[in-house]
Amino acid sequence: MAAKIMIVDDSPFSRTLLGDMLREIGYEVVGEADCLEAALATYREKKPDIVTMDIAMPHDDGFEISKCLLHDDPNAKIILSSSIKDDDTVLEAKRLGICGYVQKPVDPKALQHVIEKVLAPDNLYADLSAKCIDILKEALSQDFTRMTKKPLKFENNFVMNTSYASRGITAVVGIIGQYSGTIIVDMPRDTAHKLTELILRHPPQGSRQTLEMVSEFTNIIAGMTCSMLNKTETSFGFKVAPPSIFEGDFVELVSPGIQMQHCVASSEYGQILVSIGFKRGATLWM
Amino acid sequence: MDVNIINPVLAAFKDVLSQIGFQTIEKRGLALTGSTFPYQGILLNIAVVGPVKGVILIGIDEKNAEKCASKMMMGMPVDELNDLAKSALSELCNMICANACTQFSQANIKGLDISPPTILTSKDPAQAMVPVPETVVVDFGCDDGIEIKLFIGLS
Repeated sequence: MAAKIMIVDDSPFSRTLLGDMLREIGYEVVGEADCLEAALATYREKKPDIVTMDIAMPHDDGFEISKCLLHDDPNAKIILSSSIKDDDTVLEAKRLGICGYVQKPVDPKALQHVIEKVLAPDNLYADLSAKCIDILKEALSQDFTRMTKKPLKFENNFVMNTSYASRGITAVVGIIGQYSGTIIVDMPRDTAHKLTELILRHPPQGSRQTLEMVSEFTNIIAGMTCSMLNKTETSFGFKVAPPSIFEGDFVELVSPGIQMQHCVASSEYGQILVSIGFKRGATLWM
Repeated sequence: MDVNIINPVLAAFKDVLSQIGFQTIEKRGLALTGSTFPYQGILLNIAVVGPVKGVILIGIDEKNAEKCASKMMMGMPVDELNDLAKSALSELCNMICANACTQFSQANIKGLDISPPTILTSKDPAQAMVPVPETVVVDFGCDDGIEIKLFIGLS
């Protein structure tokens, strides 16, 4: 069955041109709209598989309309079609969750390629989700064993999207690349203290030194994890930001919009919780 | 740290808050602190990667966070910081940081990217340590007595 497409553009000429092109490729154009209200009403009625969206429109621009469509249906698949293509446009589109982009004047082959990619299941994301926690565990295990000469024992992996309590010290690392994500390493103060003493070969001088150890430890694990993930698929292009560290007795954490996978590692120094998750939706730019 | 580095973030903060309907966005104080600082309530953490690196944190107490989440959700009453309210705050943080990247780009610092936000909640005094030696702390007073702290640790 042909994919159903809806066109949002204030120019009747552009809508006709794009509509004819889509029909020639073999898609079904189920609706057209020239403003926010018409776009929302047509989307709700026709439930298209793809929406093509102009950016510059007289009242609400393409970003505003995309935001409303995505608020209405977070799974809406929107492709920008515009002559504007600069860093700011790319950044804003990625932030909003727009799936792809074709530059005007639209080339039929580029348009078909982006539509096919947007409609295809995101196998790369599925593959990343399937392996990221095991790769993080491998990085933790290698680094921990190298530092302590002791083994780690892992419990079962689990998924949790709601808030959870920190054990005392939490390191949060941001990941940038094909998908953006987060790595979290969380451990009790006592565990962090013992590990710091072991590595320094003397007791830490104040709690700051312990926090610095957790920061460095997490930095190494996150860097190794991303490097190992990049080796499995070069297009990931992951880079890590240096960790932020948080310490407190009753701290809760949550990473909204990300399916975080967790695992608890046990050692003779105590438990370490490691978590990793990536935001769905890479953007295709043609 | 060159304190001018904070200007695009402050511009983004004002820009985004006025977009979501805040009338008053008043800078009430600015201080330079080290890499560690205390916090209580909500802290939203977003990492920044590119020619400028580091972290942007937004600190707000629970009551003000509820008011802020309500503003984000078109005035819907928010009596507790549940996951929906936290998601709204996370979207606010995302919008400010993405807007800041655009402002940096306009100031010819291009190619910045941001991580997804992580939200930390602590009812008791807790401590944060950011990966840069200095942090600029900016206090804002906004509508309905909402007080928001921006912690900018960029280099």
